[in-house]
Amino acid sequence: MSTATSTIADVEAQHMSQVGSAPIVLCLGPSFENASTDQLAPLLALLRDALGEMAADAVVAYPVSDPQAASWQHDGMALQPFLPSAHLQTISVQTATSYIGLHEVMRAHESICGILLGAEAQTLAPHTVRLMVEAVLDHNADLALPNYALHPNEALLNAALLAPLSRAIFGVRAHFPLALDLALSMRMAERMAVAAQKFTAAGQPEAIQWPAAEAAAAGYTVAEVEAGPRELPPPSDVDLATVLNSVATSLFADIEAKASYWQRTRPAATLLHMGDAAQAPSDNDPVAQDEIDGLIESFRLGYTNLHEIWALVLPPHTLLGLKRLSAAPAETFRMTDALWVRIVFDFVLAHRLRTINRGHLLGALTPLYLAWVATHLLQMQIAPLVDTIDPLARAFEADKPYLVSRWRWPDRFNP
Amino acid sequence: MFSQTKDALFDSFGRVLTQLARFLPGVLALVLAVVLLTLLGAALSWALRRILTRIRFDERVGQQNSAGVADWSPSHSPTLLIGRVAFWGCVLLGVVVGVSAYDAAYGTSDIATFMLPYITHSVGALIIFLVGTLLARYLSRSVLISAVNAKLQYARALSLGVKWLVLVFTGAMVLDHLSVGGLIVELGFGILFGGIVLALALAVGLGSRDLVARSIERTTDRTAPIDKPLAAVPEAPRTLRHF
Repeated sequence: MSTATSTIADVEAQHMSQVGSAPIVLCLGPSFENASTDQLAPLLALLRDALGEMAADAVVAYPVSDPQAASWQHDGMALQPFLPSAHLQTISVQTATSYIGLHEVMRAHESICGILLGAEAQTLAPHTVRLMVEAVLDHNADLALPNYALHPNEALLNAALLAPLSRAIFGVRAHFPLALDLALSMRMAERMAVAAQKFTAAGQPEAIQWPAAEAAAAGYTVAEVEAGPRELPPPSDVDLATVLNSVATSLFADIEAKASYWQRTRPAATLLHMGDAAQAPSDNDPVAQDEIDGLIESFRLGYTNLHEIWALVLPPHTLLGLKRLSAAPAETFRMTDALWVRIVFDFVLAHRLRTINRGHLLGALTPLYLAWVATHLLQMQIAPLVDTIDPLARAFEADKPYLVSRWRWPDRFNP
Repeated sequence: MFSQTKDALFDSFGRVLTQLARFLPGVLALVLAVVLLTLLGAALSWALRRILTRIRFDERVGQQNSAGVADWSPSHSPTLLIGRVAFWGCVLLGVVVGVSAYDAAYGTSDIATFMLPYITHSVGALIIFLVGTLLARYLSRSVLISAVNAKLQYARALSLGVKWLVLVFTGAMVLDHLSVGGLIVELGFGILFGGIVLALALAVGLGSRDLVARSIERTTDRTAPIDKPLAAVPEAPRTLRHF
């Protein structure tokens, strides 16, 4: 275990005598580091409302940089400062550091349920936190993920890549495999911490982890909680290509690491559903046609310049589809689900085979992703209430044999 | 006179035969050394590949080094890279041994003295050339992808410019290492390098005239007197959230 983690453990041991054991631990993310009482007050009010009588048995752990910070009480809730092993965070997700921190706090307080809350968690509906706790405590789920009711123009990378690919590969039908907020049982937190230590030992405390995939590989029970609307953290200064590179590299590496698991044919993992589905908010401004045209132009620019690089990764049939797409006018611009699925699978394979430098590979994926986004937005303009994500996930599932075949025999099977 | 001509001819014939008799064993030794060490290299390469494949060397390197040796190896296989290095190392050793043997058989020490440093320099030049070519390809791809993602219309020109800059630089280094061309190489390199930089500057400058104009306008606005309120710049609504 890293030195930083040991420091957390030492501080936890010190605070243990002050706070005592607690069945529920709520661990706040790096965005709450050194937060003042005023900043924490809305979230604490929400948590007290959500937990009700269980609030007395809960500990809210929040990151601080001062090792002398002491535990304190706020309106009947115990607050526990802890030293995170890393402070930097370029993307608002739960990283290896978060999982190690949660596990240490849970272990120190002998907790059976741990909840990680991301930035802007005060905008969550109280029942979401309550349902996540109930999923772990009452329904013996090891992992509870929220299903946020977001606008169709939000979390596009999740809709295009993360959710459908995770569903097809690992069989977990959760809508947000990389959720900002999640609840874990003790054994799940332990498993995540063990996985996280590999990253922190390698000097990657900011490494993204995939709890849904870990739970599937371990055969643990996963629950999905209908979370309603949630305000997303403000966008960072990092550009899209960098975000796509970080997230997709992490997911592709996880797929490679768990190849022995997903290559076997298995039934989809059982997903506990909790709560009533909420309607996605529709008060956002519709995306301007200029913005969609800009996305299409980005794809066309990519096709003109990156065609040779794509030709190293994609088979001729896919390249033909892209050629047709680049020539299509904006009115009829449609990237089919089948085409997008093949692109993603071929990029996963190229990542594994190192066909080209991995940084270049993910960089070359960005214009293709923008073409998918343009298609998605055009479909939303025509039929705003039609669910386009579920058919895409089904297309990923249906084409999984292609990935498995080419994964096993990359040279023998290339249509 | 006939007798003198006959003597001269026989003497000449004898000298040529003597030279040939001294020359042929040297050539034979050279060929033999190259062939033997090539065969040894092939065997060593085969054995290394077998051993490394058996211990799953590629997978181990891949796990420990996500974007390192494998990206530079033929067919992205470090095992193949090591096998080829071993093979060509043996071939090179064969050439060096052969040249020395030829030199010893021929009875002079001039060739080895001249050839061996040149072979060493040639190997160095070859390594510089290979590294330069790989670097040129890597950098040109990096620039191309970054420029496309930044939506620059002149992405390809920029990428080609970077590629040729590195290639010209590499070419000049190789020739300098081989001591070929002397001052002409330095002069030619300066002209070519400067020409490419100028061409790139013109391409980027002309391609981003509007961008520069907007940037200058913005700077001018910022330097306006502080008592004069700045015109509010309406920001386009951003409704897309990728992550």
